[in-house]
Amino acid sequence: MTHLTVDGVTKIFGDPDKDGVVAVDELDIDVEDGEFLVLLGPSGCGKTTTLRMIGGLETPTSGEIRFDDVVVNDIKARNRDVAMVFQDFALYPHMTVRENLGFGLKREDNGMSTADVNERVEEVATMLEIEQLLNNKPAQLSGGQKQRVALGRAIIREPRLFLFDEPLANLDAKLRKTMRTEIDELQSEVGITSAYVTHNQEEAMTIADKIAVLNDGALQQLGRPEEVFNEPANLFVAQFVGSPDMNIYDGVVEEAADGVRVELDGVSFELPSDALDAEVPPGGVNVGFRPQDFYQTGKRRADGLTFDVDIRVIEPVGTKAIVHGDGPMGDVTAEIGEFHGLSAGDTLSLSIAPEHVYLFDAETEALRKGRRIENRASVQSQSQSSESDGVEI
Amino acid sequence: MAAQDPDPAAEFRRNESWLFDTTAGAYVRKTAVSLLTLVVFAFVLFPLYWMVVTAFKTTAEIQQIPPTVYPNDFSLEGFRLVVESSIQAGGYTSLFANLFGWQASSAIDIDILSLVLNSLKVAVGAGAIALVLGTAASYVLSRRDFVGKNALMSIFLASLMFPGTAIMVPEWELVSALGLFNTHLVLIFIYGAMTAPFVVWLMKGFFDDFPDSIIEASRIDQCSSIETFWYVIVPMARNSLIASFIFAFLLAWNELVFALTLLDNSRYTVPPGLLTFVQGFNTQWNVVAAASIIISLPVLLGLAYIQRYFVQGLTGGAIKG
Repeated sequence: MTHLTVDGVTKIFGDPDKDGVVAVDELDIDVEDGEFLVLLGPSGCGKTTTLRMIGGLETPTSGEIRFDDVVVNDIKARNRDVAMVFQDFALYPHMTVRENLGFGLKREDNGMSTADVNERVEEVATMLEIEQLLNNKPAQLSGGQKQRVALGRAIIREPRLFLFDEPLANLDAKLRKTMRTEIDELQSEVGITSAYVTHNQEEAMTIADKIAVLNDGALQQLGRPEEVFNEPANLFVAQFVGSPDMNIYDGVVEEAADGVRVELDGVSFELPSDALDAEVPPGGVNVGFRPQDFYQTGKRRADGLTFDVDIRVIEPVGTKAIVHGDGPMGDVTAEIGEFHGLSAGDTLSLSIAPEHVYLFDAETEALRKGRRIENRASVQSQSQSSESDGVEI
Repeated sequence: MAAQDPDPAAEFRRNESWLFDTTAGAYVRKTAVSLLTLVVFAFVLFPLYWMVVTAFKTTAEIQQIPPTVYPNDFSLEGFRLVVESSIQAGGYTSLFANLFGWQASSAIDIDILSLVLNSLKVAVGAGAIALVLGTAASYVLSRRDFVGKNALMSIFLASLMFPGTAIMVPEWELVSALGLFNTHLVLIFIYGAMTAPFVVWLMKGFFDDFPDSIIEASRIDQCSSIETFWYVIVPMARNSLIASFIFAFLLAWNELVFALTLLDNSRYTVPPGLLTFVQGFNTQWNVVAAASIIISLPVLLGLAYIQRYFVQGLTGGAIKG
């Protein structure tokens, strides 16, 4: 049960004055007791280094790491009382599962007898459904079983913090989803503050209470998954989070009678002032459309941008399809339903609601307008007030 | 074209050769390989065979020309002489005379048991030195970066290529300066130093492949460095450690020149001890062979038991999964 604070932490590998590499730059993160933090970012963004600093495997060059407001910079990994799950599981190959699980408890100065340790091992093994594997060596286990043992080794000690370093990266896709749910459930059950590193945005969105998006060692955004998705702090976050990737186009904002007018290459549309949270000054912008926000014209409300797309490729994904095509402003990727009548070469008319449009400053790439989900809901409830009572998403 | 061809599979047969793609060719290949194996087998094992056969011949039969391929007159005379010589040289003559009423008397004056004990002492000592120094050095060389690391590794490699006898003169001076002539300790030092570079190379290969995350996991599991080393690294390195030890042990067990020159015959190890059985024109080869067999057996049995670790350690397949 720990309140974790990362306060102005910088980590430089090599000589800071000469050719040192800045892995983490002035990072500030605050994780409340029992929260699940996910550090998300591309390879080399410093997320693993951050996790290792929290665990005590690396020392920050400057800044402070605090557990419950106690600075732990000088405390060694073995004394921090954290547990870590590694990407390659890092099970001790010469020990059985039972010994692997009990190893940390035996090393700990906790006055537990061998029988106590064994009892606790069996308790955890039952919880993770690996009790029949206790006498096997790691080499005899499948990937998912190894993962469970690694998890068990972490939870058995009831540490202050769980640290996960891409724990699912070595598993196959199906197992990854199962284990993701299990980790989430497990963490909620034991309620231990956790930090989890991944480059997989889907994993981050599903598992996190709070996501920290990192790029080049700098924090881009710290927020709840829906904040990161709907109101990305900048263009980088917007492009990194969400799948398929967001469509981005260069555009110009001009003033209009009500709100603003956005000019794209070949098309233009208006954003009424009630779709805007803050004033958008005229000038160059990057306009972002999420593929999921497109719908086929006429299937829903008809205001907002509408344009035609020449379909190049259709990738069916079950009930939906990802459509790649050429629009007036360039390449368009859209995720739509009811695609069965369509084929490559057809022309498709797409629309997007004004409140779903993202705008970013062309210079600073900072967010000007995010995706507003509550606005759309209110519009919908106005138009279908008779049937939408009590329906929540 | 396809219509004219009587064999529809002809297209697939264009690359065929008689040797590799016909049944007859396969038999020829197998026979050739088997014959070659037999020749190599004979080449390697004939000396051992000859040693065993010689040990069971009588002195007269050994001097026969042409030599016999197997003993016509099976005899344990060689073994009897070795045992008698050992009893006499070991000072157990009166003991045996009192106990069994058997008077051992031998023209040869060599105690096999003390040779073996001397060799064991030297070989185990050298193995321990090589293991401790080599493992510690290789761990540092593998885990830390420092100036001159590659040069150091090259020097270790070069020292393996250097014939040991080339530096005998300076070594003698060193031994003399330290006042260590005619001690087993000096052999332990020399053999340890000779094998430590090999151990460094072998163990460095192991430590290079050692996953960092396991060491980190043990740190997270609240191990101190010593505990990590003892509970995690040593058990995982077991095969490589055994291989290193065996290598150092065997070198010390077999080394002749240093042992012959630095010791006098009261402290001889096995190789110079065996050499003293060879006595000019008067050598009784059956005795030499019998002594060799008696001396080899314990080592042979020991190695047979741990050879699987040796192979695994050398090939470095110790870590998986």
